[in-house]
Amino acid sequence: MRRDIGCAKVDHWLSRRSLLAGAAAGTSLTAGLTPVQAEQLRSGQKRVLQVYLQGGVSQFESWDPKPGTKFGGPFRSIETSVPGVRICELLPHTAQRMHLLSIVRSINLKTNDHGVGRVFMEKGRKNGAFPYIGSVAAKYLAPANPPLPGYLHITTRGLNDNTAAFLGAKYAQLKLPGADAPENLERPKQLTDEGAVRREELRQRLSQRFAGGRGQPAETEAYESSYEMAERLLAQKAMFKAEPSPAELERYGSHPFARNCILARNLLMNGGTCVKVTHHGYDTHAENFNFHLEQLGEFDKTFCMLLDDLHHAGMLDSTLVMIYSEFGRTPKINQRYGRDHWGASVSVAVGGAGIQPGVVVGATNDEGTEVADREVDAGHLFHTYFQAVGIDSSADHEIAGKSIPIGDPVAAPIEEILA
Amino acid sequence: MSQQIPDLPPPPPAARRPVDVPKTHLFAEFKHERPLTTCRIDPTGRYVFAGAEDFGVYRWEIGGTSEAKTVFAGHESWVRSLDFSLDGQWLYTGGYDDHIGVWRTAASGSDVAPERMVKAHKGWVRWVRVSPGGDLLASCGNDNLIRIWRLPDFQLVHELAGHERYPYAADFHPDGRRLASFDLMGVIKEWDLNSGAELRSFRAEFMWGFDQKFRADMGGARDMVFSPNGATLAVAGLTEVTNAFAGVHKPMILLVDWETGEFRQQFKDEKYNGMAWGVRFHPDGFVMGVGAPQGGNQGKVWFFRPGEEAAFHTLQLSHCGRGLDLNPDARLFAVPQFDGLLRVYRMTDEPARV
Repeated sequence: MRRDIGCAKVDHWLSRRSLLAGAAAGTSLTAGLTPVQAEQLRSGQKRVLQVYLQGGVSQFESWDPKPGTKFGGPFRSIETSVPGVRICELLPHTAQRMHLLSIVRSINLKTNDHGVGRVFMEKGRKNGAFPYIGSVAAKYLAPANPPLPGYLHITTRGLNDNTAAFLGAKYAQLKLPGADAPENLERPKQLTDEGAVRREELRQRLSQRFAGGRGQPAETEAYESSYEMAERLLAQKAMFKAEPSPAELERYGSHPFARNCILARNLLMNGGTCVKVTHHGYDTHAENFNFHLEQLGEFDKTFCMLLDDLHHAGMLDSTLVMIYSEFGRTPKINQRYGRDHWGASVSVAVGGAGIQPGVVVGATNDEGTEVADREVDAGHLFHTYFQAVGIDSSADHEIAGKSIPIGDPVAAPIEEILA
Repeated sequence: MSQQIPDLPPPPPAARRPVDVPKTHLFAEFKHERPLTTCRIDPTGRYVFAGAEDFGVYRWEIGGTSEAKTVFAGHESWVRSLDFSLDGQWLYTGGYDDHIGVWRTAASGSDVAPERMVKAHKGWVRWVRVSPGGDLLASCGNDNLIRIWRLPDFQLVHELAGHERYPYAADFHPDGRRLASFDLMGVIKEWDLNSGAELRSFRAEFMWGFDQKFRADMGGARDMVFSPNGATLAVAGLTEVTNAFAGVHKPMILLVDWETGEFRQQFKDEKYNGMAWGVRFHPDGFVMGVGAPQGGNQGKVWFFRPGEEAAFHTLQLSHCGRGLDLNPDARLFAVPQFDGLLRVYRMTDEPARV
């Protein structure tokens, strides 16, 4: 087992410093962490890291390789740090960290549609106005006064989904367009501190009057939430403005996904509750193999650096990590060396909080054309994710006197992957 | 518009009658159960070999039956590049398993094992090509390197570093002193085979595209070959990428004046979306290219004369063509197809065999 292959010395700075500080002072393990991290660890707060491989990563070229079979493609499988578990050779860094992750190989989404698949994977239901994982996490996992908006989505593009549904705008995703600081984060230069306070008081008075007079609390709440999110981001502006160090860029890479993952790490370490990073470019109807070489080549090491940093900071036990797509790709390789949309035999990887590491759940048949054992769908995954972070997914949201099941009652957690 | 063709070889010797392209007809057909990826005819003209979307390389006698197929098994991934020693005794195969296979071309039996597997690159071996003198072999790898090997012992002579993205293909200049290579980004490099030094680098940017939506590069040569006298380099690939992930682009065959680096001709089929997978100079003075469409199954072979915008003849294939090779007397050519058929065509008015 080669756990730290690919790590620079700086990888271990946090954990080593923590341990040394703790040993020298006889204090807790949280010594040496930032105040926010220390509070997170003390409080037992759970958080979520979603890595969304947009477009549909191929299960053959990632978590469920079938080398030498009819539809297996050109890539080989490699051993991982978990004996007997093999993944595609495009993920050599991830393979060395397989003891931190688990795989579900038996997902049948029964859809080949991007939109339906994405919504199903996010909401655990195909239909209906239900909140996304990130919004549910923001509502139930974030502390009372979080230092950052509860659901942050780093993406260079994407749809403006209504992720919060009936939970309200306060829990909606806030999209960050990459690692650059959000626009208009700076207060206007001519506005003094005192002026800013007075402006905010005026805004609150107007909001209260509007809410009272028109009886539109939801609309007012949306505005209030926007201001709250902006205020929280403003307080963290230094984090956005800080350029990654040369050592970080050496480890993570210098491409946009690398910078986005560095930001994701910083957000999680500074009070982020659910942080989603989207890596685009997996909808490979043509040149599937060349594009997976490129895309997973970018994903593999970068993701592992992020995983290492969370692990070495002692945060992995309290951070659920999900790597997923809206579906997988067809077994059949088309005439353009592409693979098309496929929801019938899909895989995801998951790890961290509440997840038993090194487990493989379910199996597809020899050619990967269908699930052969332990069929599950996104409803089961949804339950599993929330059970893993300590939320009873069979309980209800209590919204304005209505009880709405958190997870789809027809599905259940995948118990064998839960710690 | 027609122009002089200064680089093409002199008229064919009297011993070989010119071909009659419009009379091109199917001569032989061989069937494999998986899609084919490439093909070559051996220097004796006896055999045709193909790679496939499995781990085998397959041999048929051109005069034989489809059933009499010999399997060359030893790679652990797909093979998409083949070449031979000058005397045809040895077959070299470039595999996506990082290895070059060395095989006896005429080995007997229905299953043939490699004489040797050479770990050639870290990552796919995309290309193998034997030098005009037969003493060197060039390989292109996903480690962004081109390696020059001395044959037959595979002693490493040069490691040519300079491509920043995958080099897709390479060919030796007929003078034997230089090598040309072409990468994902359309960068063409010329290398000195004595010193291993890069002599020049220029870019056919139009044979590359950046997909803004998916933020990915699409390009590269699917085949490349020098004209017999070395005046022109022909490259098969793509142009006008509008959606890389759906394969929406046009096939292109580029002719480069090798001394000046001028892009002398960019042959396109305006009514066709897809990829050009093969190109050959025919000794009768024309160029042949093969293509696969983005949609549907209408593969094509284009016959065009350098300097003329339109093909003077087009052959419809029964499915997507993925390569092209001529036999030694240039009367036959072979095309491997996506549907698993390896088809051999004859460019004469002789009676059809199939």
